[in-house]
Amino acid sequence: SLLSLRCHSQQPSDPSAILKLPAKRKLMPTVQGKAAQPKPAFTDEAVQTLLYKMTGLDLHKVFRPEKKGLKPPHYKLMTEAQLEEATRKAIEEAKTKLIMPPVLNEREPIDDVLAEDKILEGTETAKYVFTDLSYSIPHRERFIVVREPNGVLRKATWEERDRMIQIFFPKEGRRVIPPTLFKDEKLGTVFQQDRHEDVLNMCIAQFEPDSPDYIRVHHRTYEDIEKHGKYDLLRSTRHFGGMVWYLLSRKKADGLLIDMINRDLLDDATSLITLYHMLHPECQSAKKAKEQKLQGVDLIKVFVKTESQREGYIQLALQAYEEAMATSSAS
Amino acid sequence: CHALTTLMGRGGHVIIRFALGGCTNRPFFRIVAANSRRARDGKYLEQLGCLDPLPNAHGEKVAGLNLERLRYWLGCGAQLSRPAEKLLGLAGFLPLHPMTVTGAERLRRRRQREQQTEAAPADGSAETGTDTGTGTGTGP
Repeated sequence: SLLSLRCHSQQPSDPSAILKLPAKRKLMPTVQGKAAQPKPAFTDEAVQTLLYKMTGLDLHKVFRPEKKGLKPPHYKLMTEAQLEEATRKAIEEAKTKLIMPPVLNEREPIDDVLAEDKILEGTETAKYVFTDLSYSIPHRERFIVVREPNGVLRKATWEERDRMIQIFFPKEGRRVIPPTLFKDEKLGTVFQQDRHEDVLNMCIAQFEPDSPDYIRVHHRTYEDIEKHGKYDLLRSTRHFGGMVWYLLSRKKADGLLIDMINRDLLDDATSLITLYHMLHPECQSAKKAKEQKLQGVDLIKVFVKTESQREGYIQLALQAYEEAMATSSAS
Repeated sequence: CHALTTLMGRGGHVIIRFALGGCTNRPFFRIVAANSRRARDGKYLEQLGCLDPLPNAHGEKVAGLNLERLRYWLGCGAQLSRPAEKLLGLAGFLPLHPMTVTGAERLRRRRQREQQTEAAPADGSAETGTDTGTGTGTGP
């Protein structure tokens, strides 16, 4: 189905296999020399658990009806025990649907000349692209070479590779030429219709995770969500973790924090701050938190005082939350 | 390599060549391992790839080659047709075919000769400068 993730056709979709991808560093500006311990990567267990907790598990949203063919609804009569069993199975399925797609660095362009035959210059008008069609090679290791009209035999660029592999080994949901939807001008229209999740699903189906187009579309989507504060669109989907990672690496966590406090998700807010401290261990609030071993609301307060740009808003939201808690506990 | 034992009667060998398909004014080649005595487009042993001789929207001629099976048939003792050899030479799987080089050199020499014949009458008519305004170079 369109929602199931397949990075490579050969790769299994269980979480441990995906998390074994080489832990490439995320897009971060270079730290000025002092941090001795390595930066946490997207694939670290601690990071993944925090992101997964924040994603939430709203069964109604995960299993909302997809637009498929019409079928009459199917009713079953169950006992309490059977209903619990069915709910448990549904939660398991939801967990597989919520596996986060990988966050990788942009791939290096391929620039490798295999042979230069100057004699062939001028004989051909078009280039030849040769693809190795052996069935049992993973797509990343496939030989795809191009013979240019000037006689040079070189390895194909990433775009040529993706196109040829899609022509000979077509994957469902992927087109040979990417749809115009992914151009910058057209993305704006889709964002106005609040269809960020659909765009991201289509992007995962179309592009490889380390291609520049994939990264560009994802960053555009996250920027737009952050600008308009539409964080709830991605909550309980598999894109939420990626969005949080992007925002935290660029220190733009304020809007998300306000949104979480407004929705009374204090646990998520504390996990957000913990993750922020893991990512930026040299900032003031991280050091204070470590010294005093703060928990819960204190952590948020320390963060608000030192690191955030929208201090006023967050203070207001926290106050409103505390008042609500006081009234509800009093009543 | 069992294919050699299933040949009909005597003679005939496995050959790797192009089988033409497609429609009018739209050729398409399949690279195929077949018995040499079969029809060009007839029954073959195995398809080893394809070649689209017309350039696509990105200006490339797309060719696919199943190198694993190609190596198997070459190991079985299959022959190659000349166009197949030339294609594999272009791909880098085999060394460049000598006829490709010869063809390139011949083409270059022909183009040089044509340029010289163009240049010479142009000089000639420029020197004389009279009313013979005939079109020089290759006529229609």
